[in-house]
Amino acid sequence: MTLFAVTRLELRRLFVRPLGWIIAALALAELGWRFALLLQIFLLNQVRLAALPDGPGYTDLVAVRMYSSFITGSPLPFGVIELALLLVPLLTMSTLAGERSAGTLPLLFASGLSATRILLGKYLAVLIWLALWLLLALAIPVSLAHGARLDWGMFAAATLGSFLALAVLAAIGVAASAYAAHPAVAAVAALMLGLALSCINLGAQLAGVSNGFVNWLAMSTHQETLLRGLVSSADIVWFLLAIAVALALGIQRLASDRERG
Amino acid sequence: MNAPKPASPPVLQLEDLVRRRAGRPAVRQLSLTLQAGQVLGLLGVNGAGKSTTLAMIAGVLLPDSGSIRLQGGDFLEHPELAARAIGWLPEAAPLWPELTVREHLDAHARLRGIRGAAVVQARDAVLERLELNDLARRLAGVLSQGQRQRLGLACALLHRPALLVLDEPANALDPVQVAALRKLLRELASDGTAVILSTHQLTEVTAVCDRVAILHEGTLRYDAPLAADQHAALEKTFFDIAVNGRAQAA
Repeated sequence: MTLFAVTRLELRRLFVRPLGWIIAALALAELGWRFALLLQIFLLNQVRLAALPDGPGYTDLVAVRMYSSFITGSPLPFGVIELALLLVPLLTMSTLAGERSAGTLPLLFASGLSATRILLGKYLAVLIWLALWLLLALAIPVSLAHGARLDWGMFAAATLGSFLALAVLAAIGVAASAYAAHPAVAAVAALMLGLALSCINLGAQLAGVSNGFVNWLAMSTHQETLLRGLVSSADIVWFLLAIAVALALGIQRLASDRERG
Repeated sequence: MNAPKPASPPVLQLEDLVRRRAGRPAVRQLSLTLQAGQVLGLLGVNGAGKSTTLAMIAGVLLPDSGSIRLQGGDFLEHPELAARAIGWLPEAAPLWPELTVREHLDAHARLRGIRGAAVVQARDAVLERLELNDLARRLAGVLSQGQRQRLGLACALLHRPALLVLDEPANALDPVQVAALRKLLRELASDGTAVILSTHQLTEVTAVCDRVAILHEGTLRYDAPLAADQHAALEKTFFDIAVNGRAQAA
């Protein structure tokens, strides 16, 4: 299928460019440092926590907190999701804006590919790259699973929530790249949209409002439930809806390239 | 008694093609038919509408109105026809600089639906034909302009298209490579491939083409077969159209 040919081409380009490797290495180094600090805090409080009935354990205080500071209330900066807000736009910025500025986008159209196949093929490549990166990131807390008691159900729900958040950010990034003429513009637009989607309910939260449309609109609302280990179909639908809207807008813009010229 | 064999449809049939760009008409009511094995030279001054026409034929740009038929099929309804029927070399041969020559050819083959061992077969054949074997492992980003042009041509030929659309293919080629390109185009034509060659150089047209079309201000002003030793006549026709057209426009 030609969609997978686009995916294969995009993955090849992602893997031969140094940017992807640098992003992955720096992010994993930061996450390793974060894990060491979270583990240190956990070990310092372990005796006190053990005395509490149903007190938080390794999963709550280390494994799940690897995913987010903002949502889990961890004092440390940059969990997987905060890193993704910065890194995904860098990864997606060239997917279409780079092709457009280098003049290679017409080559894809001239191969008889529709805008849908081009965009979905590229999105799939970014998603595969991010899934591999997430696998490496979650290998860090899992490496201690034989010595610590890991709540696999809660950890799986948190991993699903993080993957879906990455998928939303990737869809926004690819769509921004479809609209932009230059990769840098696409990166800035994707960063701003990702931040807005994550923090749009900040004012409402500070005012003590925890329901309503603004809270529903915010990605953090739906991530929070999953990071607490609760998988709700309403949250999953929100993520799928956000991905579909972003990709549909991107496809529409890309299709208009053939009309505009 | 045997029934007469139905004539095969033209490789390309343009009917009343219209396209505006930047608020002005770039191509007006263009109609053209190209049969298998024909080599059409498309001439015109800068801004005559050659590149816009080629981009529409390649499926990169949609016409505002009119129709494009490829081997009898409606190309606008079925843009996927381009995958097997058209090979396109745009001007300046855009490439992915981080991929090697071999990776380029493999990617183009897969994008056009070629699978498995056929990818290697198609790639090796075109590497051989365009004498690119020595460059197979080299990154596209470090190729010279002439080498880029040859790689672009290789990508366009990879799937053995019925129609080859070339925009200034001789740009940046040295005289030896130009001679090789001319020979290649004649070979392709004798194998039944239809070729459209857009160029500014009249010598290119007289050396390879058996038909010439001249575009001026988006309109087809001249379309006729080209016989041998017609260089001087073609030159006169071209300048008549280009200069008179300008005078009329002024």
